[in-house]
Amino acid sequence: MVISMKKFIKHNLIILGFFCCIAGFMLILIFGEKETNSISERRKLKEFPKFRVKTLQDHSYMEDLEAYLLDHFPFRDNLRSMKAYFAYDVLGQLENNDIYIANGYAGKLEYPLKENSVIKAAEKMQAIKAQYFPKAEAYYAIVPDKNYFLADKNGYPSMDYNRLKSLMQERLTDMTYIDIWDTLSIEDYYATDTHWRQECLGETVQQIGDVMGFSEYLFLDYEQKEIEEFYGVYYGQSALPLSSEPLYYLTNETIQMATQWSLEKNKIQPIYMSEEETGFDKYNIFLAGAQALQRIESPLAKTENRLIVFRDSFGSSIVPLFLEAYKEIIVIDTRYISPSLLGEYVDFETENTQILFLYNTLLLNNSSMLK
Amino acid sequence: MLFSSITFLYFFLPTVFILYGIASIKQDITWRNLVLCVMSCLFYAWGEPMYFFLMLVQVMIVYGLTCYMEKKRESATGKVCFTLSVLLPFASLFYFKYTAFFMMTLTSWLPWPESWIKSAKTITLPIGISFYTFQLTSYCIDVWLGRVKLQKNLLSLMTYVALFPQLIAGPIVRYSDVDKELSDRKTTRENLAEGIVRFTIGLGKKVLIANVLGEFVAEALALENRGIALSWAYALAVSLQIYFDFSGYSDMAIGLGRMFGFHFPENFHYPFISDSLTEFWRRWHMTLGTWFRDYVYIPMGGNRVKKAKWFFNLLTVWFLTGLWHGAGWNFIIWGLFFGVFLILEKVFFGKTERKSSLLGKIAGHVYVVIAIIISFLIFHAENMEVAMRDIRALLPGMGMEKVQLETALFTLRNRLGILFIALVGSTPFPLLVWKRFFTWLRKDVVEEIVKAIGVVVILLLSTAYLIDGSFNPFLYFRF
Repeated sequence: MVISMKKFIKHNLIILGFFCCIAGFMLILIFGEKETNSISERRKLKEFPKFRVKTLQDHSYMEDLEAYLLDHFPFRDNLRSMKAYFAYDVLGQLENNDIYIANGYAGKLEYPLKENSVIKAAEKMQAIKAQYFPKAEAYYAIVPDKNYFLADKNGYPSMDYNRLKSLMQERLTDMTYIDIWDTLSIEDYYATDTHWRQECLGETVQQIGDVMGFSEYLFLDYEQKEIEEFYGVYYGQSALPLSSEPLYYLTNETIQMATQWSLEKNKIQPIYMSEEETGFDKYNIFLAGAQALQRIESPLAKTENRLIVFRDSFGSSIVPLFLEAYKEIIVIDTRYISPSLLGEYVDFETENTQILFLYNTLLLNNSSMLK
Repeated sequence: MLFSSITFLYFFLPTVFILYGIASIKQDITWRNLVLCVMSCLFYAWGEPMYFFLMLVQVMIVYGLTCYMEKKRESATGKVCFTLSVLLPFASLFYFKYTAFFMMTLTSWLPWPESWIKSAKTITLPIGISFYTFQLTSYCIDVWLGRVKLQKNLLSLMTYVALFPQLIAGPIVRYSDVDKELSDRKTTRENLAEGIVRFTIGLGKKVLIANVLGEFVAEALALENRGIALSWAYALAVSLQIYFDFSGYSDMAIGLGRMFGFHFPENFHYPFISDSLTEFWRRWHMTLGTWFRDYVYIPMGGNRVKKAKWFFNLLTVWFLTGLWHGAGWNFIIWGLFFGVFLILEKVFFGKTERKSSLLGKIAGHVYVVIAIIISFLIFHAENMEVAMRDIRALLPGMGMEKVQLETALFTLRNRLGILFIALVGSTPFPLLVWKRFFTWLRKDVVEEIVKAIGVVVILLLSTAYLIDGSFNPFLYFRF
């Protein structure tokens, strides 16, 4: 009995293990149910490529098929977690896919400082000012990314933030700099996401308001609403089983009465997009996420003033908190619209108009995204 | 198609096994060869749809020429056929691989029109052309010299050249290596199990070690100032990445061959433990080394000539070895670098390359490691300017700012684990420990179970890495 068992194990176990794996996964890949979206990675999964002679010749069919198989591989999320644990625990890596966890927060490594990129961003901001509002007073604020609070203290490299600020200040001499860095701490950011938490921005809004002269109109008492189970962008990238966190948004009558029109959708929508609560990225609840150009009207504003904000995704959550002070806010994201087209859609010469550039350090360090 | 791709691992491979299994029901080996040949063609065409026909035409031309050559062996026509059978594959290799390089190199003497150089630069290199050209020409030469019998069966010849395990990145399997197995081979459980283990180890070497080292190399390369410690770690990682990438591929090829009953020649044998560069080249890319020895060095007279001619022979071989690896001056210099060192070793140490004393052995290892590291910096660099910058960075003297220092230290700390694993894995130590442990344990069953678990774990981990990332280029595909 023992001999026959030994005989069976010899070679057969290896053969069985190997073939069970490759044949098993092949069968599941062929017959298993296919998802259309990946919740953890917040994206649509690839569809089975259509066969055409042209795609076969240019090799794109093979690449698309491989991408499809990678996307629909059985137990994809579990295997990605397995890889993450192997990288951390066996290889002793301090990050996985550039994501690191420190003090319960997930951060994405961003280093070193790309001085040329920061200079280009400043030049682009200057060019916009020179073209559309050369004499108007313009303000700019820089939003620190999470690495500013996390990286250095925990032994991770980060960009030289002081140098970044001084590069901007040296070039944007005809704009007023609003320093909001002291108003923020790591607790003001989501643990699993890049962004700041809207409910923690009171001090930041106050600081911006003080410099731009609208703080007296601010009403900082809001009703706080909760969306459960928010998984930020780093959740999917880290491939680790991080806990979800609640996403809060602040509202009051002024915000509820305000409306936004976006250039892409060409329709009027509320400030908070409730349908995004079930979407890939719940942060898109704020001003419908990435949009090229939006016009927000705030009928209950306490002034007739107008604000034009050049912003990135951090702007989506802070802009609603300005609605008490401005009758109209134009929100522009030059990652999605060329500055040369702005004149067709935006009147920069109306009186009582203020200009604010609000960009985060990650964008400034990768400013090729700006048009 | 890459071995380390989902398409290969979970579609192509199971399909080949199913078809091969069905074909094995018939006693006639033709059916098994037919399955391997057709699937190998599909494997190649999947990666190179257009250039598949180039390979097909070359095999058919060589088949026709060698058949005719055999018939007219004594006549001038036979000699012409033989010459053509060798020259045509090399002409094709030259056209696809070296046209642009030679035109640019000779441009100061021969002022070609700019448009010629431009169009030469658009020529893309068919995958694996360097490997199958060497296989085809070695077959022709061996048939001409009577070392092997003419293969009259076109299917068998096509199967030999196109055999997917070794088609695109070696080892360079000579016809004599597989001649008998093309007409008579068996897939035993032992072959299958050993092939699986070898293939899986190769997959792990490629995906879990070489690719991760590649990430480290890319991270270090992106830094403006690496500092001396990271520069050395980077240089070491480059050498280890190339080793694990290429030897991993060879392991996969040998393992796959074994699964189908072929015994391919070994290509690597712990090259980093060598204590001379002569020994290193007996352990590194062995099939290429022996190919050049048998088809270039020895026909030129080898070492049985005057000293000056001997050194010339050596330098010619190493010039060609460098050129085989790539159409660039850094590859030629890389080859000549070894040529010069090998000549120096022969001059100073003669045939007693191995140092008997411990100190001599240590000195030998240090010398070999430093020489290898420098050589692979030349090999890996885009051009000689970059190579010289990388080599200079190994020397002390360049100051670093605080931020640069912190970044360099983090990059190093982050990858110390993989460097250590790769370093230990490049020696026979893990295999030695494995053997000692299971000899001591005297439990064959446990060893089999551990092997089976290891196979599954490596396969799953490699799959996990493939799913999670796209950093997956095989370095030797460009040759």
